[in-house]
Amino acid sequence: MATTRSKTGIFVIGITFALCISASAQETKLPDAQQLHSYSVSRESFLLGTVVKFESASSTLPMGAHLVLQTSSGPIDVHLGDAKVLRAGHLELNPGDSVRIVGEPLALGDSTYFAARIVQKGAQAVAVRNTRGFLTTPASLMSPADKEALRGVR
Amino acid sequence: MKRLLLMLTAGAALWSAACGGGNGIAVPPPPVGKYTLANLNGQYAFVTNGESFTGVNAVALARTGSFTADGMGNITTGIEDVNAAGAPSLALQISGGNYTVNADGRGTLTLNVVSGGVASPINFGITLTSSNDGLMIDETSTSAQSSTGSGNFIKQNSGSFAIASIAGPYVFDFSGQDGFSPSGPESIVGEFTASGGPITTGVEDVNDNGVFTTAAAVSGSFSADGVNLSTLPGFGRGIAQLNGVQYAFYIVDASRVRLLNISGGAMLSGDAVAQSNTAPANVSSISSSFVFIVAGSSGNGGITRVGRFTANGATVTNVLVDTNNSGQFIKTNTTNNTSISLDAANLGRGTITFTDPNFAAAPFKFVFYLSSATQGVIQETTTNGNNAVDVADGSIAAQTGSPFTSSNITGTYALNWSGLSLQNNGSFSVHDEEDLLSQVVVTSLGLSGAADIFQFQNGVPVFDLVTSGAITISGDGTSSTASNRNTMSVKLVKSNSTTVNFVVYFVNPQLAFFANNQDSHRTVAGILKAQQ
Repeated sequence: MATTRSKTGIFVIGITFALCISASAQETKLPDAQQLHSYSVSRESFLLGTVVKFESASSTLPMGAHLVLQTSSGPIDVHLGDAKVLRAGHLELNPGDSVRIVGEPLALGDSTYFAARIVQKGAQAVAVRNTRGFLTTPASLMSPADKEALRGVR
Repeated sequence: MKRLLLMLTAGAALWSAACGGGNGIAVPPPPVGKYTLANLNGQYAFVTNGESFTGVNAVALARTGSFTADGMGNITTGIEDVNAAGAPSLALQISGGNYTVNADGRGTLTLNVVSGGVASPINFGITLTSSNDGLMIDETSTSAQSSTGSGNFIKQNSGSFAIASIAGPYVFDFSGQDGFSPSGPESIVGEFTASGGPITTGVEDVNDNGVFTTAAAVSGSFSADGVNLSTLPGFGRGIAQLNGVQYAFYIVDASRVRLLNISGGAMLSGDAVAQSNTAPANVSSISSSFVFIVAGSSGNGGITRVGRFTANGATVTNVLVDTNNSGQFIKTNTTNNTSISLDAANLGRGTITFTDPNFAAAPFKFVFYLSSATQGVIQETTTNGNNAVDVADGSIAAQTGSPFTSSNITGTYALNWSGLSLQNNGSFSVHDEEDLLSQVVVTSLGLSGAADIFQFQNGVPVFDLVTSGAITISGDGTSSTASNRNTMSVKLVKSNSTTVNFVVYFVNPQLAFFANNQDSHRTVAGILKAQQ
């Protein structure tokens, strides 16, 4: 799949979502949690599915936004990071939405969860982690003009 | 206090309601103590790190500056440099302001800052820890700006306002965000030797968004700001170049310089502290227990680690660490694969490693730089599968003055924490920045006092919460026994109440590092510091 990345960190997808849903979700057996305490872009896979539930501040760990995604392999909990990034990217997630998630399993303690790096809904996508796996901030979605305006901050 | 890096079931609504006034609002008793307006008198270099909202997005915010208090409630002059998510605002004039100091050392500070030709106030809560220093949180909530963050201020010695004063070896720790897009967390710890302007030698360890640079050379210089020459003799302000990156700096005195990155789109800040000749040159000369705290970012979100170890030469024992990894609490008690070493080529630089048996594939690794036998900075370098598990740094300090008991953990303390908590501004629940500043009296290990808190999603701080709590000390208080931890609870009451529970490590009877060890919707860490 061809993707291009804008300077603001918003990903614009060049082909239709229909192509995405022809693939099956890559979610399979999770690797040993001992090996998953850091993010490696080489391990990335993607999930395709339907949003069952979205919470901007879930009680499920780790802290942050989560969604439950219904995939062909069953429901999967996905960590989306800082909900303010999704809001800044104007990406709303509601039950029934078809989405594509790029990311990988990460360990938290001795358990694992699916850590999203890119959340895509239709032609819109938002990077919620950078390529090293660290959570992005709303500032990453600001335009150069918006950033320039920050020079007025006291 | 380094931030960082870092769940309250009572959300923002709790605090909003609490500041509404009326019946059922708890009010702290009248402040008691020795402080007056006269205790804030002179020039002070200040720093804060936090978050700002100006109408587009909430962004990270760091500032460093200098204000002058007249001892009578007035701010007469000052200047600050600001970095908002990589966008710097340089040499902003502080045209005036005012402050209050209660008898307990708590108070307010308002600085009227001129930007674009317009003066607008920024507001802080302060708690004096002496006439020379104090802790502060940003409590700005105006039509022009909402901002929060934690920091401190230290009295400046104007006799040191010259480039020649920055001389000799210094240890430094800068942390924040790198300059790439999308940005990532960055930590730089190291040491340099300055000589009347030029940096003659130096070494640093960098964790930039998970990419390590180890023991790299440092070059650069300190100079007056050619555009604002008068800020050096007036405020101790100048411009530094460190490895090609530009910083605004403020001289506190010859022993400390405060720096804020102002180039390259990055947002880094921190202090450089003079290194004394007591910094150990050989590991065989180390015989002490140490407490450390680091905060920053992991792939899961915010992370804090606070802990301790005993080093006797190259032998490391009694390693205890309490981790809060974005709501996941991990207790580490280990003697496995421990080691400590010092870098013969770089005085004060060393590494320590140990393994939590439950996380054998990611043995703990840290690099530290000691500025003396008892103080230093520390950066985590733990990897898993050759990738960094986090970007986190902070402080390391020798543990002295034990046994810690109700007899020596007593008196008045300033208390500050910063990090993330669950907040709810209407229909939008989110984990956002939280900063708290308090003054407490500790008697028989019980806490009583008052606090301000700013949960940023609210947009408005909440003042004068009734603060109570308790400290429990295990054994001699060094927590040298595995499975034992010292704890502290802090109960905050306005119209409602909540209690936050911490693990606490005493550095000495006057200072402790703590981090919450319960409530998976909160990741905060802070310090408890005795008032003098």
